[in-house]
Amino acid sequence: MVSLGRREILHEVDLTVRPGEIVGLIGETGSGKTTLARSLLGLNRIERGSARVAGVDVAGLRGRALREFRRAGAVQYVFQDPLQSLDPDLPVGRSVGEAWEVRGAADVAGRVAEALVRVGLDPDLAARLPSEVSGGQRQRAAIARAMITSPRLLLCDEPVSALDASSRTAVLELLLDLRSSVGQLFISHDLGSVAGVTDRIAVLYQGRIVEEGPTAQVIGEPQHPYTHLLVGSAPTLGGESMSRHDRAALRAQL
Amino acid sequence: MRAILRHRLGAASVTFLLLVALLAVVGPWVAPYDPLAQNQDALLQGPSAAHWLGTDNLGRDELSRLLAGSRLSLLAALEAVLVGLVLGTVPGLLSVYLGRVFEWTTLRVMDAFVTLPFLVFAVAMTALLGNGLTQAMLAVGILVSPAFYRVTRAAAFPVAGAQYVEAARLTGAPAWFVLRRHVWPKVLPAVAVTTAATLGSSLVIVSSLTFLGIGIQPPEPTWGGMLATSLEYLFQRPTAPLVPALLVILTVGACNGLADALRDVTGSREARRVAA
Repeated sequence: MVSLGRREILHEVDLTVRPGEIVGLIGETGSGKTTLARSLLGLNRIERGSARVAGVDVAGLRGRALREFRRAGAVQYVFQDPLQSLDPDLPVGRSVGEAWEVRGAADVAGRVAEALVRVGLDPDLAARLPSEVSGGQRQRAAIARAMITSPRLLLCDEPVSALDASSRTAVLELLLDLRSSVGQLFISHDLGSVAGVTDRIAVLYQGRIVEEGPTAQVIGEPQHPYTHLLVGSAPTLGGESMSRHDRAALRAQL
Repeated sequence: MRAILRHRLGAASVTFLLLVALLAVVGPWVAPYDPLAQNQDALLQGPSAAHWLGTDNLGRDELSRLLAGSRLSLLAALEAVLVGLVLGTVPGLLSVYLGRVFEWTTLRVMDAFVTLPFLVFAVAMTALLGNGLTQAMLAVGILVSPAFYRVTRAAAFPVAGAQYVEAARLTGAPAWFVLRRHVWPKVLPAVAVTTAATLGSSLVIVSSLTFLGIGIQPPEPTWGGMLATSLEYLFQRPTAPLVPALLVILTVGACNGLADALRDVTGSREARRVAA
């Protein structure tokens, strides 16, 4: 269980992300998606239950142990808005290589160049400020920062919602390319993006996982009324999304 | 620095302050007379070839005292600013990071400092610790520290919650690393502006305290002390307070000008960043 202040945000959440797998976590704003991801990083305290990442129970970590866990880099986070997640006064490379700088490692520049190439960026981009590169490049750099420690789990919190259509596709393709080396939890309320990259989907509603299964099954045959509502509310190019009346009927069942 | 020198007011202020700093460094050596040497045959004389700015009530050369006094006046102001900077900036930064108890305590302490009547506190401090420059400047430093505290806190608060700071924390970076790498550079411009403005006001405070006999003791020359002495003999030498007063006014003005330039330069940088 995770609470923020007196409000209980997450309860009865049971979710596994295996290596090489992309799991989508969908739900409306305020359903607890980001809180769940932050709990896995120790940013929100887990009051009851456990969250195991690479064999370590994050729920039991405090202070120095938590810092050491983070420093090991087993779990990394990609923020929604890369412009805000990269220090505006530092060249991109300084932000990307920060984890290795914190570890006091040698040849940080070499590791940064390697990480940038891995996400399809020119290593020369390391010397530029975040404001001097495009939104797509910024998000790729943010992913490079997350991947530089070779994490076991990558938490992508709405990684494409701040991007234009072409950058969105490029970043989604990049996440698919990285699938073989890292398990990913892809958080989004954009069903289209989630359906495009994930193997499985978990649906979070009011702090509970109400449905979980293979992506095609959850999207094609939603079992829970809330999942049905989410799928039906997703805008489509054909204009065949659910009518207002049907949405109201489903809302009534929740 | 380049941006400040491109700023007209900034360039003028820096130039003047460099001159004053030069005066403080070489002043005592280029003074034509011993600033403490009394000459009973040349009391309260007006400007002449022998004494360019005249002499005071004890026959001491005003120009020599002005040059020698620059160092003490500036050092005293710098000491006060330094004390205020440390006492205000450090808890200001930490108040954002060390939790509610530390935040509440430091806020109340700073509120208490703000309510202290300046002169009474300075007199009490010197009465308690002895009448000397360090004691007086400690008192001044304590009283200017809330300005640094508030400014630092206000600048650090939004940065502390920024995503890039959170991203740094997620790398396992210790607090000092995050503060040095991400927070301090954002806070520095605001602190620099406050430092420049406080330097100007500290100079006035040092002069005022010397005027009242607190801090630097006679016969040591200071700008404030010279002003006080010359005002006692205004009838005999009405122009005597002009030069020390002008020097104080211009130095304070240059400090404020530098503060304005710093604000303009860092403000326009911030604006460019937001626009990008």
